[in-house]
Amino acid sequence: MKMLFDSAAFRIIAKEKQTQDIYLFRLEKAGAKKTEKSELNYQPGQFFQLGIPGFGEAPFSVCSASKDFIEFNIRGLGEVTNKLISLQPRELIWLRGPYGTSYPMKEIRGNSLVIIGGGTGVAPLRGVLKHVEAHRADYDRVHLFFGFKSPEEILFKKDMNAWNRIFDLHLTLDKAPKDYKGKVGLVTKIVEESRLDNKNKIVMICGPPIMMKFTIQTLEKTGFNHDQIFVSYERRMKCGTGMCGHCMISGVYVCKDGPVFRYDKVKGLHE
Amino acid sequence: MDKVLEKKRLNEFLSKVSKGKELIAPVKKGTLRFEVVTAFADICLEGRPLFPIKKFFSPSKQDLLSLNLAKKDKPYDEVKVKFKPRIIFGARLCDFNGLLRLDKFFLSKEYRDDYYKLARENTLLFAINCVPTPSKYCFCESMSLERYYDLMFHDLGDKYYVEAGTVRGKSLINELRDYDFTMPAITCDKKLDKKDLAKYYDDVAWSKENDKCLSCGKCTAHCTTCLCFDVNDELAPDLQKGKRFKEWDSCQFLNFTLVAGGAVFRKERLPRFKHRIYHKLQYFREKFGMDMCTGCGRCIEACPRLIDFTEVINKLK
Repeated sequence: MKMLFDSAAFRIIAKEKQTQDIYLFRLEKAGAKKTEKSELNYQPGQFFQLGIPGFGEAPFSVCSASKDFIEFNIRGLGEVTNKLISLQPRELIWLRGPYGTSYPMKEIRGNSLVIIGGGTGVAPLRGVLKHVEAHRADYDRVHLFFGFKSPEEILFKKDMNAWNRIFDLHLTLDKAPKDYKGKVGLVTKIVEESRLDNKNKIVMICGPPIMMKFTIQTLEKTGFNHDQIFVSYERRMKCGTGMCGHCMISGVYVCKDGPVFRYDKVKGLHE
Repeated sequence: MDKVLEKKRLNEFLSKVSKGKELIAPVKKGTLRFEVVTAFADICLEGRPLFPIKKFFSPSKQDLLSLNLAKKDKPYDEVKVKFKPRIIFGARLCDFNGLLRLDKFFLSKEYRDDYYKLARENTLLFAINCVPTPSKYCFCESMSLERYYDLMFHDLGDKYYVEAGTVRGKSLINELRDYDFTMPAITCDKKLDKKDLAKYYDDVAWSKENDKCLSCGKCTAHCTTCLCFDVNDELAPDLQKGKRFKEWDSCQFLNFTLVAGGAVFRKERLPRFKHRIYHKLQYFREKFGMDMCTGCGRCIEACPRLIDFTEVINKLK
C-alpha cells in the first residue's frame, strides 16, 4: 500500500547563502549509490513538500532543472522554514512530490520567452532558465525582468551575472542607496520601457499577487493576450493532492490544477 | 419483493447481523450522538444526531506517521490502521449520500486515503427512512439524493418495512418475511430553489446574511461532507518521539488561506462564506456532476446565529 504522506530522504549537498534569511539548497537522493544513480523526474514549475520530522512540512517550488539534483530556495519565515535554513550540508530533508503542473517547456519551443519575477517569485523561474540554458537552441530570445526590494535582496547573483551575458536581463529595485547605478522602481516600469511586442512570445510571471496583477495590466496595454501568459500561484498546500482544501481558489486546486496556470484559464476566479 | 421485521424483533435482528462487528447508532446519553452501541436500550431513533457520521471515516484527529528522531535514517513509520467490521444503523439518506460525495476525494484513482478506504469497506450502512423528517432544517428533497444504503428501514408502527439496496444487504434479510410495500419518498417543508449561482456571486443577499457570521466553524464541523484538513507534527517532551497527524480544519477560519510571510487570501468572512456555499453547490458539481450538499440542514441548525444559506439562494433574483 503506497502511503500518501510517505517521504524520501534527500541529502543536502550544498547550501549557499542568498540574503540575510534566504538560502539555496542543493539536494540529492540519499542512499543512492554513485553507480546506479536514479534519475530525478521533475519539471520547472512543480513543487515538493519538504519535511523535517517533528517540525512539519512546507511546499516549495523547484528552482533547478537537473536529473541529478534538486534545488530549493528557502526563506526562513516560520517554524518549518527556520528549521530548514538551519540545516547544514550532509543533513537530511524529507521530500514528497513532485506535485502539480509545470511550465510547458516543450509546447513553447521556438518562441521568445519573457520572464518576469518579483522577490522569491524568481525561484521557480530559475528552474525555467536552467532548462533553457541546457536547451538553448529550442528557444528564441529570452527577456528577463526581475524586481527585488534592495541590493541585499537580489537572489541568484552568480546566475544573474551569467544571464546578463547570455540573455536580455533587466533588474530593478524598490529601494536603493544613492550610489546604486541600476534601475529603481517597480517591475512594471521596466517591462513597459522595454516596448516588447507580443509576436511569438510566451510570458511567465511569478511574484506577489499585487505585482502579478499590475504586470498583467501592463502587458495587456502592450498587446499581449491572456493565452500567452503563464502565472504561478502560491498557496499553503498541506496534502498536495487535492484533498485538504487549503489551496482551493473557486473550483481550482493550486496543487493539482496549478501551480502553473495559463492566465486565460484562471483570470477572474473568485478568491 | 422486500421484507418486514416486527419492532419487537429489531434488537434480536441487529444483534444477529452485528455478531463480530461493532454496531454504531444514534445513542441518547444527554446529547444524541452516533456512537458504538453498548446496550440496545440506548439506541434512539427520535430526531437525528447533530454531529454527522463522518468521524467514523475520517476522525477529527488522525495519526499518519509515528516519528522517532533517534532513528536518523528512518524517522518516520506508517501508522497502521486496523478496522473491526461495523454496522451503522439509524443514519439517514443524507448521511450515506455524504459518503458518496466524500468518495470523490478520498477514493479517487490518483490519491487514496487508506484509512477512509478501509473504513468504507468495513462498514455496512443501515438507514432509517425520514418519514417524517427529523429536523425542521431538513431540505434533502431538493437535493436529488440517491437511494444509497445496504438496508433501509421504514417505520410502519409495530413493524419495519426493510428494503435492501445492495446484494450484501439482501443476504442479511433473506430469512425475514416477504412484504409488499413501496418505500415512501422523503418530503421536506424546507426547500432549496436551485439556481445557477455563477450569476449571483456579487449579490448583496450574501453579505446581508453573512453579517451575522462569527467565523466559528460550526457549519463545517457539522457538515456531512466537509473534511478539509490540516497536517502538523507534534513531539513528546523528550523531543524524540512524536507523530504527524491530520486534523479537521475549516475554510471559515481566517488562517485557512494563510501563506508564509503572513499573507491571507480570504481575509474577510464574506468570501469565506461564499467559498463554502459555492464549493457545495457549484464547484463540486462542475467537477463531479452532483452537489456536495446533501440537504441535511445541520450547518443551519448548528450555527449560533442560524445563518441560512438556503434563504439567501431562494431570495436571489
